[in-house]
Amino acid sequence: MEEDPTFDPDLIHSIFKSVWTRMALERERNEAADAMDNEAGPVNATSKKNRPTTANANALKLSCELLRLFITEAVQRAAAIAEAEGMTKIEATHLERILPQLLLDF
Amino acid sequence: MTGQMSPDKRVHFWKSKRVFFVTPQVLEKDIQSGTCLVKYLVCLVIDEAHRASGNYSYCVVVRELIARPVQLRILALTATPGSKHQTIQHVIDNLIISTLEYRNESDPDVSPYVHDRKLELIEVAMGKEAIEINDLLLKVIRIYAARLNAMGILLNRDYQALSPSDLLTSRDKFRQAPPPELSQVKYGEVERFFGALITLYHIRKLLSSHGIRPAYEMLEEKLHQGSFASLMSRNEDINKAKLLMQQSLSHGAPNPKISKMLEVLIDHFKKNDPQQSRVIIFSNFRGSVRDIMDALSNIGDIVKAAQFVGQSSGKSLKGQSQKVQQAVLEKFRAGGYNVIVATSIGEEGLDIMEVDLVICFDANVSPLRMVQRMGRTGRKHDGRVVVLACEGSELKGYRRKQANSKAVSKHMRNGGIASFNFHLSPRMIPHIFKPDVQFVELSIEKFVPRGKKVKDDDVVEMPMWKKNLTVTEADIVAKYFNNSGKSWKPSLIAFPHFQTFPCRVHIVMHSCRTGMMIDAMQHLQGVVFSRDKEGLPVEEKEFLVEQHGSKPLEQHNNCCQDLLNFDDCPDIYEQRSMSDTPVQTSENADRNCLSTIASKSSPVHSYLFSADFVSVDNLGNVLILSVPSLPSPKVTQSDDIYLKCPKKDSGRFLAAAQRSEEVRMPFGDSVQRASAQTRCLKSEARAVSTVFDFEAQQNEPTVMDMKNTEIENVIGVLPDGGDGTNGTPDALKVKEPFPLASACNDDEEDAELSPRLTNYMESGVVPESPINGESNGKDKSAFVIPDLVLPPICSNHLFMSSSQGKKRELIKEFDSCRGIVSGSPTYNRIQTPLANIKDGSNKSKCGHASPDNQMTPENDITSGHSKNWCLTPNNNSNSVKGRKKLRRLRRVGDCVRRRGLNHKDNDIVPIVESDRSFPGASTFQNQNNYNQGEKKTTNNGRAYIEEEAEVSSGAEASEDEEDDLDGDTYEDSFIDDGTNPTAASTQDITCTVDMMAVYRRSLLSQSPNGWRMSESTSSSGKNLHSLYAPGSRLKNQSEGGSAESLSEGHERIPKRRPSMASISTTDGGSDVERLKRKSRFHDPDSVPAINLEREFLSQGDSGNEEPVHQNQANGVPADFDLFSDDHFYEGVDLDALEAQATLLLQRSSECSKEKKETIPKPSVDHAGSPTFDLGI
Repeated sequence: MEEDPTFDPDLIHSIFKSVWTRMALERERNEAADAMDNEAGPVNATSKKNRPTTANANALKLSCELLRLFITEAVQRAAAIAEAEGMTKIEATHLERILPQLLLDF
Repeated sequence: MTGQMSPDKRVHFWKSKRVFFVTPQVLEKDIQSGTCLVKYLVCLVIDEAHRASGNYSYCVVVRELIARPVQLRILALTATPGSKHQTIQHVIDNLIISTLEYRNESDPDVSPYVHDRKLELIEVAMGKEAIEINDLLLKVIRIYAARLNAMGILLNRDYQALSPSDLLTSRDKFRQAPPPELSQVKYGEVERFFGALITLYHIRKLLSSHGIRPAYEMLEEKLHQGSFASLMSRNEDINKAKLLMQQSLSHGAPNPKISKMLEVLIDHFKKNDPQQSRVIIFSNFRGSVRDIMDALSNIGDIVKAAQFVGQSSGKSLKGQSQKVQQAVLEKFRAGGYNVIVATSIGEEGLDIMEVDLVICFDANVSPLRMVQRMGRTGRKHDGRVVVLACEGSELKGYRRKQANSKAVSKHMRNGGIASFNFHLSPRMIPHIFKPDVQFVELSIEKFVPRGKKVKDDDVVEMPMWKKNLTVTEADIVAKYFNNSGKSWKPSLIAFPHFQTFPCRVHIVMHSCRTGMMIDAMQHLQGVVFSRDKEGLPVEEKEFLVEQHGSKPLEQHNNCCQDLLNFDDCPDIYEQRSMSDTPVQTSENADRNCLSTIASKSSPVHSYLFSADFVSVDNLGNVLILSVPSLPSPKVTQSDDIYLKCPKKDSGRFLAAAQRSEEVRMPFGDSVQRASAQTRCLKSEARAVSTVFDFEAQQNEPTVMDMKNTEIENVIGVLPDGGDGTNGTPDALKVKEPFPLASACNDDEEDAELSPRLTNYMESGVVPESPINGESNGKDKSAFVIPDLVLPPICSNHLFMSSSQGKKRELIKEFDSCRGIVSGSPTYNRIQTPLANIKDGSNKSKCGHASPDNQMTPENDITSGHSKNWCLTPNNNSNSVKGRKKLRRLRRVGDCVRRRGLNHKDNDIVPIVESDRSFPGASTFQNQNNYNQGEKKTTNNGRAYIEEEAEVSSGAEASEDEEDDLDGDTYEDSFIDDGTNPTAASTQDITCTVDMMAVYRRSLLSQSPNGWRMSESTSSSGKNLHSLYAPGSRLKNQSEGGSAESLSEGHERIPKRRPSMASISTTDGGSDVERLKRKSRFHDPDSVPAINLEREFLSQGDSGNEEPVHQNQANGVPADFDLFSDDHFYEGVDLDALEAQATLLLQRSSECSKEKKETIPKPSVDHAGSPTFDLGI
């Protein structure tokens, strides 16, 4: 089974985890603020919301593939723009040009 | 392999392994499912073969294997083949056994491996209470047994020797063949007797073998249910027996068996180490297990006992789950327990470790189970089996069964040939081979007992990602994903123009949402370019423009509709265009437009313009057709337009004159161009047809309108026909003729217009087709036209302002003008590709300027026009954008296009700028602003410019271009002046100078006043004025802006006028010097704006009405302008610098006052701009 080179699920997972933890921290902060606001409200520390997000191996594989497609498409489109301008290097502006449509395409 | 292993794994193993240890159930399933490769099976060894009865897995497996053409040997092993001859024969049949080998411990080939196993039978006397209870029970039994005996059902035997099994067989016999003499009624009674007897015998058995307590519980239970209760509840003997049991239990009379057992146990643990020795106590009854456990718990520490029972839960006793069983066995192995009290489940099958002592609590069990129990010991070293038998029936039963097993074993002596039927089994090994017996010692290095939990053997593969990232990888992740906010974030709004058309895709196609966004962006920006990249794009753009124009028209009719309306309009336009396929419709549309214009002077104009634009678009492309439709309805109103026309006619209709001039210009150009170039035959044909139609219409009443339409058409044609042919000279010539033509009758003009239109078409094509020198020439021609047209265009623009097509044309013209300007100043450039590029840029700039001019004209014409202008600006912007795209194709042209695009984007802005520039008399500034605005407005614009600069000659070229533009602007201003003079001259002939002056004033006032001032005179009057304004403007310009400015008295105007006047005067000195204008046209880019400004000023001067219009126009545009200004300001610093530089230049050239004016205006614009930016 020849597989196209794709992202290391390990890497993607760690990226996801870093984002999740950050989001969890933000959520905690927000909830803490909320709790401060209404102390009477029941504070359930072990609610599902506070549980760290996880992803199983298949979900990660799928995420890797999606990211691979996304980035490939982004680079190719930006390259097309750069090429049309006679550039040999993809600049940030090229990405910015294709970004809105790219985001809507995914 | 067991059932706990997944089938997939088993499949794998079946394929890869050679020797299997399989549970019979798994083998059965795998054979049936086909995963077991049956044909490779050679030998099947069956342990515990005595289970091969009925439909047990052994039998099924063997049947399956025999049913297939497989040759294999079956070896079946068992320690207990059966207790009867019959059962042994069944096993032999089921397993297709051909030979039977029997060995016992005494056999020579077995004895070396068998450890000594002492079997002790301990007879235990029943207790006193037990005997008494037993007697009582016997009494009861006797009664019922006697009754059954009397009925002949129960054989007359010793009732004491009867067992429950005997009764069961008797009952079965009775059920199958009841005695004939017995009446049916008695059956129930007999059944009841049998049931009671069976229960009683069972209780008696419990009593003897297990003690009083189980018997009592049994009796108690039975007395509460069913027939036994009804039969026995009043029986005295039963009650007595029950009472006795209760008494014995209450004072805790020990069961003799248990006491004996304890004795044996203690004795055993005295001889053996309690830590090492293991004991199993078997009991057939769970109740007795509990009793034993209770008794053992009183012994002390040496005995650590655990019960080991089945899973089923009874009423009083709970079963053990498999987990608990496994835990008990594990602990037993490890030494946590040294005694297990087990029921029959501990007898075989389970992996119970070797024990030293087996105690059989009850003896009256089948010999098979007895053998299995004994098999728990004596495996590795000597063992001991103690059988506790109660005197009496239990002992007798035990003896009898032992004898029975001996008899069976006799059958098996000598292979059982005499007793059993065997099955033939062919020899599998060829006779050639004579296999020898070899003794191979198989050693197990280390026995690994199965763990508590049975897991799949294969290791669970850890996913790759569970391994830790390397440190460097972790660092990278932390670097790029943990510091939030600091990293660069791409902007989604940086390139709005890029979102107006689908970008190229690689693999992932665009989604419908992308399409929606593109549409929305197109509407927002009025850009039709999305498809421009393709060959069709231009047409599409035109269509879009048309659509926009049509929308504006309709909405404009409503007056002062917002840009949003414009955006919406495009769709309507499209629809209309779609509906209006034929040119005729377009003509009608034109008429309608004219009529509408007539009806609503200002609005009508706007409408007309819009219609014209549409028509122009149509001319340029099929769009023209669509445009007509809209106008057609308005045709009725054409009369109104005629009213205007008359006015126009009177003074050559100020507007008409202007228009005519413009028309003439285009016509002449078109004619010349047409003559020179027939490239745009189609477009021309269309244009011509449309023109003809227009002409016809125009000839009738609305010649002016027609002209206007024609002009517009021409303009549209020009853009369309941007074939870049060598029309430049022609164009120049045309330009010259145009003025002449303008002098000519309107009809002639109209006629001319058609050719001009074609020419315009060509010219338009030229601009589109970027780099050709011809295109430059065309551009020049276009420029010339603009010059001539500019004034007219202004008027035309007013008309056309509504019509985007006209705007385009104007823009093209402006572009051409610019190109000319650039060309004139830098003819070399024109000749050179760079020049072309510059021209392109100039064109773009011109286009920008043209839009602005258009805007201004519109504003000048009418407030409604101003609205239209706004609308048109959008349209223009769109068109410009389209051009920009085209230009983008060309690198240099790209820059221009970008600018143009920016202008387009900032269409409103440009107007504002133009207005501003006018007030500030800094057309240059305006231009600069435009340029800057373009750049600033659209980041893209900048990027484009930058890119263009890079791509093309570089920033320098762009700068040069800009400079040129600036110069052009100056020149333009001059040119404007010149054009104005020319126009004025032409107009003067027909029109009154005053009108021109008024118009100019109005224009001027509008531009300056518009922003600040809200001098609102009657819009209608303004409209008229505006209409006239073009002509007036021309005239005014020709007359000289100075006088106008003075007359106007507007601060801005004056300021501007002075500069303008100077320029104009110089230029105006040579009214006829249109050729000079051409040279000037090079600068015209700025000039158009100037002209517009002037027009505005003139308009403002001409009448308060015009100002009002301007104000209105300004109101709409003002916002836009503000926005645009903001954009401009927002623009890159470079742009600002450039603008400043230009401003400085302008200032230097212009009066300080002008500078001041210009400065304040920008500031104002800035204030307003923020919103615009946001919008963008």
